[in-house]
Amino acid sequence: MIRGLVALAILVALGGIKLPIERNLAAMHRHEHFRGVEFNLDLREKIGQLGFIAALSGFRAIVADALFIQAHTAWERTEWGRILLLFGHITTLQPRVLLFWDMAAWHMAWNASVAAMNDQTQPRLALRVKAQREYFALGKDFLERGIKNNPDRPQLYEALARLYKEKYKDHGRASEFFAKAAALPGAATYDRRFSAYELSYCEGREREAYENLRSLYDEGEQERLPTLITRLKFLEDKLKIPQDQRIPDRAAGSVK
Amino acid sequence: MTNSENASTLQRFNASTLAKPYHGFSLSRILAITLNTLTELTRLRVFYVLLVFGLLLIGSSIFMAQFSFQQEFQILKDISLGAISIFTSLLAIVATARLLPQDIEDRTVYTILAKPVPRFEYVLGKIAGVLLLLAISTLMMSAAFLLVLYLREQAVIHATMRQMAGAPPEQIADALRAIRSSALNPDMLPGIIIIYLKACLLAALTLFVSTFASTNIFTIVVMAFVYFIGHLQATAREYWLQEHSSGLLTRVFLAFVALLFPDLQAFNLVDDIVAGTAISLALFAKTALLGIFYTTIYTLLAAFVFYGKEL
Amino acid sequence: MTDSSPRLVAQESSGGGSCAEASSAVAVHGLTKMFPVPLHPARGIVAVKDLNLRIEPGEVYGLLGPNGSGKSTTLKVILGLVSPTRGRTEIFGRNSRLVESREAVGFLPENPYFYKYLTGEETLRFFGRLCGLRRARLKQRVNELLDLVGLTKARKRRLGTYSKGMLQRIGLAQALIHDPRLVVLDEPTAGVDPAGSREIRDLILDLKRRGITVLLSSHLLAQAQEICDRVGILADGVLVREGHLHELIAIENQTELVIADASAHLVDEIESMINRSDAKLIERRKSTTTLERLFLEATAKNDEGTTKQT
Repeated sequence: MIRGLVALAILVALGGIKLPIERNLAAMHRHEHFRGVEFNLDLREKIGQLGFIAALSGFRAIVADALFIQAHTAWERTEWGRILLLFGHITTLQPRVLLFWDMAAWHMAWNASVAAMNDQTQPRLALRVKAQREYFALGKDFLERGIKNNPDRPQLYEALARLYKEKYKDHGRASEFFAKAAALPGAATYDRRFSAYELSYCEGREREAYENLRSLYDEGEQERLPTLITRLKFLEDKLKIPQDQRIPDRAAGSVK
Repeated sequence: MTNSENASTLQRFNASTLAKPYHGFSLSRILAITLNTLTELTRLRVFYVLLVFGLLLIGSSIFMAQFSFQQEFQILKDISLGAISIFTSLLAIVATARLLPQDIEDRTVYTILAKPVPRFEYVLGKIAGVLLLLAISTLMMSAAFLLVLYLREQAVIHATMRQMAGAPPEQIADALRAIRSSALNPDMLPGIIIIYLKACLLAALTLFVSTFASTNIFTIVVMAFVYFIGHLQATAREYWLQEHSSGLLTRVFLAFVALLFPDLQAFNLVDDIVAGTAISLALFAKTALLGIFYTTIYTLLAAFVFYGKEL
Repeated sequence: MTDSSPRLVAQESSGGGSCAEASSAVAVHGLTKMFPVPLHPARGIVAVKDLNLRIEPGEVYGLLGPNGSGKSTTLKVILGLVSPTRGRTEIFGRNSRLVESREAVGFLPENPYFYKYLTGEETLRFFGRLCGLRRARLKQRVNELLDLVGLTKARKRRLGTYSKGMLQRIGLAQALIHDPRLVVLDEPTAGVDPAGSREIRDLILDLKRRGITVLLSSHLLAQAQEICDRVGILADGVLVREGHLHELIAIENQTELVIADASAHLVDEIESMINRSDAKLIERRKSTTTLERLFLEATAKNDEGTTKQT
């Protein structure tokens, strides 16, 4: 009995020692992008009692996967509201899975927006456009939050760039985000090129774009893809670059 | 009887026993108890039930082929690692909870401690048996998981190569690289080791609780509670140390939770590892050391309490 | 009746470590054991009260008493399994609380279970290893003991399939695995059938012949009477009587004559001799065997043709 109490007292005393160690470790975890999920009442409200307990016990990933399968079904039924809700939970549970942010944004900005635009039940174009833009915004929001949780990985920057390019037609922002993606390890090789392409579409930034494209061109054969050459020539014309500084005309045939 | 007759009589009775003279610490004694415990546990039916369940779970994730391969691998890994996590945690608690009470109830503990075996070695041998069992289970389940993952990876690769039959070689290489990188992630191995250490922690803590408890059920109920609270310890800890506005009673309660319970969230790293987060050596080492620290402390405390237990 | 086992002259001394104390097999000094009742620290169950006893090497000592008299508790304190509230106990001069004092002791607890999933052989190997026996020596000892307790045929069977008598025998085997000089048996024949009981008693007598000290507790008095040299009677934790069995149960002023082939005339003559003297004839009857011997003879005949070991 006495020994038991002594043991508990020792445990409490050791608790005082382990506390700073645990905090330090938790900070280290957060720094390396673990522990992005806070288990608090907020989360419990979002995903309900059972989900909360399951997530708490180390089943976070499986709960998210189960919700993901549900979202897949919702997509087949084009239940956009439900998809939005589910992906909200999914990304809360698994903020480090890029796939989920990407798919959430895709469903909103690419699928739901198109469905809204082609919605037969809404006769007024203005309202359809409004709905479409709302979905764009939702998609953008997902990607921005995804980036916040995954600042070290290029994929979501790239996805956001594509969103700006294809949906908002905002080449400036698209270029910016392609560049951000390119700066991170593991980025696709084309990100830098795409950044330069997008820049080349921006009014008033032709000079900057030209410098970029030219320096890419100078790197060698692997960058001299048809689109790059086309845009470069376009800019050369627009900026009236002297002939001797221009790139040679496209040699016969094949791109290497 | 004269003194000389006494002496010769004594000599006859003091003839050396066959065993080696007693040493304070004997690895072979501990090993005997360890292997005995392992044998006992592997002949338990509940072990096989849980093992089969775990293996089935891993195998069932083969039926996820309806999704893209990234999604499929994601789900497969999540389910398998989740199964390994819950199986080892559950086994750790259930197997350890009955160790001491069973021996005491059967009075086998008397026969063991009536031999020149220190109580500390007895406790150590018991927990070592459980840790060995957990290691074997983890290895078996991980092997099954990796096998399933490999088979699915190969299946997807072959399907992809058939689809891309006419495509340029770099494209094929890119695609194969994408498949391989979303399948096997070497960081999963440190993640599995951390899962194992979490189970070790739970086993040692269960042993400690069982030295107080008089029944199996009590220990298991307490450990279920501890498991739940342990996952909330991080939240409680931060609330206690940061929030200054809550009432005294709340703060005392939070302090109690923060000091007494281990932070079990610290050992749930696989989810993020599967998501692609890399784990640095420093982080792995620190987390592993914390697990070992907890396991050691709980074992020592269990031995300490058991030392004074009336049998 | 002279006592043939070696006895050492007891010396009462106030200082510790006298020659006599050091040579006792077991020495209990002023042992008191109180079990606290939870939540009532003042009250408690006094299991043993100020017990003093000494057991000499080579004798069979029976600690007798009704259930709850403190026999088991005393044995456990001697074995270091339970710590005394007051007083101390020693085995061959070493304090029971030291682990090494158990080097020379073997213990068979009451109603032991052991590990059901182990075979008889594995059980002995396990306990042997706990005592530091290894390899060839361990193997040899295991074989010897299985033979001694008559379980060689059942060595590969799991203990879960053993009968009570077999469990008792394997228990005895594990107690003896390391060739101890002292063997402690808690109710060794409780719940065992007469044949098994007889075997265990024969084993105990065999131990005694080899000079091993035996301390046993029992509430089966008739059986204890057959094998003990000295007994101590515990009641409510107090040692009420102690001494050599024959001295204790001898009725001082009575004599028994057992005569074979006596004619009725001879017996009548002896009876009239007694009547003429100051003595008084209390009883005259035919000698009886015991019910146990009758039973064993009867059942042994039925066993003929079947193997002895079950």
